[in-house]
Amino acid sequence: MRKLWLIVKREYVTRVRTKGFVIATVGVPVFSIGLFAFAIFMATRETDHTLKLVILDSSGGLGARVTQGLNYKLANGQPEFSVVKIVEQPGSDERAREELRSEVSNGQLDGYLLIPGEVAKGGPAEFHTKNPGDFGVNEHIGRAVSDAVIAQRLHDRGLQIENVSEVVQGVELKLVKVTKQGEAEEKGQTFLVALVLAFILYTTLVMYGVSTMRSVLEEKTTRIVEVLLSTAKPFHLMAGKIVGVAAVGLTQYLIWTLTAALLATYGAAMASAFRPGASFPRFHIPASLLAYFVVFFLCGYFLYASLFAAIGASSSNEQDAQQLQWPVMLPIICSMVMFNLVLRDPNSTASVALSLVPFFAPILMTLRLSAQTPPSWQIGLSIALTAVTTVGVVYFSARIYRVGVLMYGKRPSVVELVRWLRYS
Amino acid sequence: MTATTDAAVLERVTKRYDSLTAVGHLSLRIRQGALFGLLGPNGAGKTTTLRMLMRILIPDEGSIQVLGEPLSEQAQDRIGYLPEERGLYPRMQVRKLLVFLGALKGLPESEANRRARDWLERLQLADWSEKKVIDLSKGMQQKVQFIAAVIHRPPLLILDEPFTGLDPINAVVLKDIMLELREQGSTIILSTHRMEQVEMMCDSICLINQGQNILHGELQAIKKAYGKNTVRIECSGDGDFLKQMPGLIQSVNHFGAVVEAKLRPGADPQEILKAAVDRGVRIMRFELMEPPLNDIFIERVSDAHA
Repeated sequence: MRKLWLIVKREYVTRVRTKGFVIATVGVPVFSIGLFAFAIFMATRETDHTLKLVILDSSGGLGARVTQGLNYKLANGQPEFSVVKIVEQPGSDERAREELRSEVSNGQLDGYLLIPGEVAKGGPAEFHTKNPGDFGVNEHIGRAVSDAVIAQRLHDRGLQIENVSEVVQGVELKLVKVTKQGEAEEKGQTFLVALVLAFILYTTLVMYGVSTMRSVLEEKTTRIVEVLLSTAKPFHLMAGKIVGVAAVGLTQYLIWTLTAALLATYGAAMASAFRPGASFPRFHIPASLLAYFVVFFLCGYFLYASLFAAIGASSSNEQDAQQLQWPVMLPIICSMVMFNLVLRDPNSTASVALSLVPFFAPILMTLRLSAQTPPSWQIGLSIALTAVTTVGVVYFSARIYRVGVLMYGKRPSVVELVRWLRYS
Repeated sequence: MTATTDAAVLERVTKRYDSLTAVGHLSLRIRQGALFGLLGPNGAGKTTTLRMLMRILIPDEGSIQVLGEPLSEQAQDRIGYLPEERGLYPRMQVRKLLVFLGALKGLPESEANRRARDWLERLQLADWSEKKVIDLSKGMQQKVQFIAAVIHRPPLLILDEPFTGLDPINAVVLKDIMLELREQGSTIILSTHRMEQVEMMCDSICLINQGQNILHGELQAIKKAYGKNTVRIECSGDGDFLKQMPGLIQSVNHFGAVVEAKLRPGADPQEILKAAVDRGVRIMRFELMEPPLNDIFIERVSDAHA
């Protein structure tokens, strides 16, 4: 056991001290948060000046209503839109557009709005602008046109309505998830939690699995493995490697989780200081889900990491390893492909059957668990099958590892791998 | 002799890979305190034998005893191993790597650290102890590998081609340490192709070929069995005159400055000397000796193949 501990410690310490680890640990969250923030910033950025518009109105009278509807204000108090003029029933549509187009392109105008005659019957209005990517502007214009058209339709049916928005206001559908523990309002957390958990599993299995494989291969190609084998059992070497890499992964997750928790607390405090009473969606992950997640995480990790270790041991170079790793990657990728299938109907025959297959179970059962708690016997059976398979796979991987690390030369065939299992 | 005075005993040990028998029913005794040479042509099964002694490979048949007990994890810790293919973590610091390998062999880390410093000092690597292995020259890495093999003061030391990549100065340093370790009671198993080293250092040898033991015993006894049937001559000219005496000489081996001639059984070396003087060849050196190990090696291996 002391040797196993020494091997784990060396693996952990040398990995955590590398530049790669620091870069990945700091870089990944900074990069993804940065990207996220940038996207939000770009999408929600308000224009900082009043947009000058011209309305080409062929509908007969809607232009004025639309103008009324465009009464939004910018953050600095200036109006968001200023309708320079309304051209009613333009004589030559083509010529009027031609003029407006040149005014938009030389910056005199920010855009022009085309309201065709058939808009009341459901035909589309058109907004011509240099920058059609500003969602805020588009939404405001769209709403103004819709409201004007609806008001017009109501008017035609004899109803005089001042504020259309109030009348056409829709009803929000609140989703409430019923579980054994009670009910909780659903704001997309189920999907988000499922996505996050599945994604953590997927990335960990692939990233740290491949990392384990590389590391085994490196020990083999640098021939240090023979020196290690002269003092430690092959099983301890393999286990030490897998546990060491796993510990590095956990360290990384711990750092990320703590940072995220700190940021969330800080962010919430900041937000409520600026906007008192602002509500935040609360993520409540049940303890049972977390516990199952840990069980499936560990089973899945050892299952796949030992397979990756065996692949590293059977290869003599990076190319061979990359070819051999595909059969192992496939079930992990398949699990993610079946993500939607399982989440949409977690209790369908297909979902139940797939979540019992040991190689899919870690990801698919976690998905089912986060969607709705499956019957206990299914959870139990899935855990039992996965655990038994994991023990078996670790055993066989260790046997392949033991022979493989001392074999150099061409990539072994499946027949040879089976033969290795029988070596004493 | 009882088993306790043998550092290693192999009893009909066999290792097969599918249809290939790497080692077949090999029996071997290595006396405690011996400097034992394990010889054999490429692919003879030397490395497989050493790996089985190291418990890296498990024999299919037969038994192995090391230092008076069957091979076990504990026994493994009392053996030092320098593999033929060098293996170190390229990106680890030299001293840390040695501490790790020493600790794996059962040393407390502080002790491993102390010994690593001492050894690095002794092998003139002190300035390199905080450098990464990858920054060291091949010869320096070889010395680090040697330290890794001896850091836990093993009673049994297995060295597979220890002199590869070392310059003559470092080779002498290493040889002196090996002799010193033997003085202190260690048993050393040396596997090498360099016959002159075996000849100078080893007291007993085993020659294996195709996984079989074909010659085994004390080096002196083996050589004596061949008798003094070889003359080594250093002379003017190229020693062509030796070829004109097929009745006396069985074979001639030219080394440039020196010629070695193997005598036919019963041939009198005096007659060769006389023939040389008669032909006006100037003799600088004329030595009657036992055959060099190299010749014995070649003869035995080619006999085995015939």
